Amino acid sequence: MAPDTGLAAPVRRLATAAAAGVAVGLVAVGGLTLDGTLRGATETTFAFGALALGVGLLGWSGSVMAGRGIENMQRYMDTGSDWTESDSRRAMTRIIGFGVGVMFAASLATALL
Amino acid sequence: MISTRYVIKRLVLLIPVLFGVATLVFSILHLSPGNPATVIATQQADAAEIQRIEERLGLDDPIWVQYVRFMVEVVQFDLGESWVHNKGEPVTDILRWKFPITLQLAVLGQIAGIVFGIPIGIISAVKQDTITDHISRIGALTGISVPIFWSGPLIILLFAVHLDWFPTNGLLSNGPLPKITGVLLIDSIIKGDIVMFVDAAWHLFLPSMVIGIYSMALISRMMRSSMLEVVRQDYIRTARAKGQGEKITLLKHGLRNALIPVVTVIGIQFGSLLGGAVLTETVFNIRGIGMLLVDAITDGDYPVVQGIVLLFAVVFTMVNLFVDLTYTYLDPRIEQ
Repeated sequence: MAPDTGLAAPVRRLATAAAAGVAVGLVAVGGLTLDGTLRGATETTFAFGALALGVGLLGWSGSVMAGRGIENMQRYMDTGSDWTESDSRRAMTRIIGFGVGVMFAASLATALL
Repeated sequence: MISTRYVIKRLVLLIPVLFGVATLVFSILHLSPGNPATVIATQQADAAEIQRIEERLGLDDPIWVQYVRFMVEVVQFDLGESWVHNKGEPVTDILRWKFPITLQLAVLGQIAGIVFGIPIGIISAVKQDTITDHISRIGALTGISVPIFWSGPLIILLFAVHLDWFPTNGLLSNGPLPKITGVLLIDSIIKGDIVMFVDAAWHLFLPSMVIGIYSMALISRMMRSSMLEVVRQDYIRTARAKGQGEKITLLKHGLRNALIPVVTVIGIQFGSLLGGAVLTETVFNIRGIGMLLVDAITDGDYPVVQGIVLLFAVVFTMVNLFVDLTYTYLDPRIEQ
């Protein structure tokens, strides 16, 4: 199968991760509500989602800014690491999607309940 | 030459970086325990009073509303108002006068690090495996290993308490700080007040040295290893074979190439200098942004903490952009 090109692949990756984030977020809100208030549960869940989003954004931009330099340095130092800029960007896209999903789930729970 | 496209690309990448930092700060502050409204309220305040404070600050809104409001305000360069320190004063105004104090300290520390670190590194590389090299390597290792919260009090004890050469705290012996640019040394020059300039330099010397020690140690180590690698290159041998003097060979051909990794280190550790300023200001009782950050975290003053962290992120990324442009100038192949 030919590899995906253009925007389709990143968007699908983001959407899949976001869907997983929504599921995890709803479970987290439910679980935390059992142990405290709904407001506290949604705030904590939202903040954890924002944490993932922040880490993902910083990781993504770091990969874009310095990724090729790091790849070259690893090649130069012959470290034998499999780390690549594109792999890192893909991973960070998933983390961003997951974070957004969790934040959305927490917001949804606040609005509905 | 550095292309405009490269600079624009780097500037555009600042947007996700700052968005990410703002999101991280927001999430960490909301995950930390404690309710800012109870900190702001007096000890005698009842639940109704705390609720009124929460309503006034918007803390009773759903968290996603707070997040969106925060992001919209950040985009408009509105960092809100302080809840605790100078209650009601815009955070941007507070930062306007506090940041130059810290920046001055960090820049002086960086200058000390560069001025001493680069020559020490070069001398150490040129005199490899001699007693000079061993002394500078031990000095560098010590400088990297000793934390500011330990070196600061020790230096105060020696130079301020026992020898009485320098003051122990503050930025001026007496009188208020002039408010022209916020950078004391520049302000004293603008005012034409030589006595104030000397007094400020006298007060800033020890804290700058404390900050600069780590920087100096790191730069000299990096300079040494980079120089050792460069002096073994073919083009250096060729320059020597052509009869060029040792000083010109090292400084003209060697230094420019050896500087590339050093410049990177200088840029990266400027961030740690800003972080170091937080500790140094506490040790030397300098009322800059570092002490303000510590106080704001302790008091739960969210807008001030968010403003300071965002400001640090902007400065750090701008310094790194400048460093990138510098080493693109030093070695144009990097741009490719």
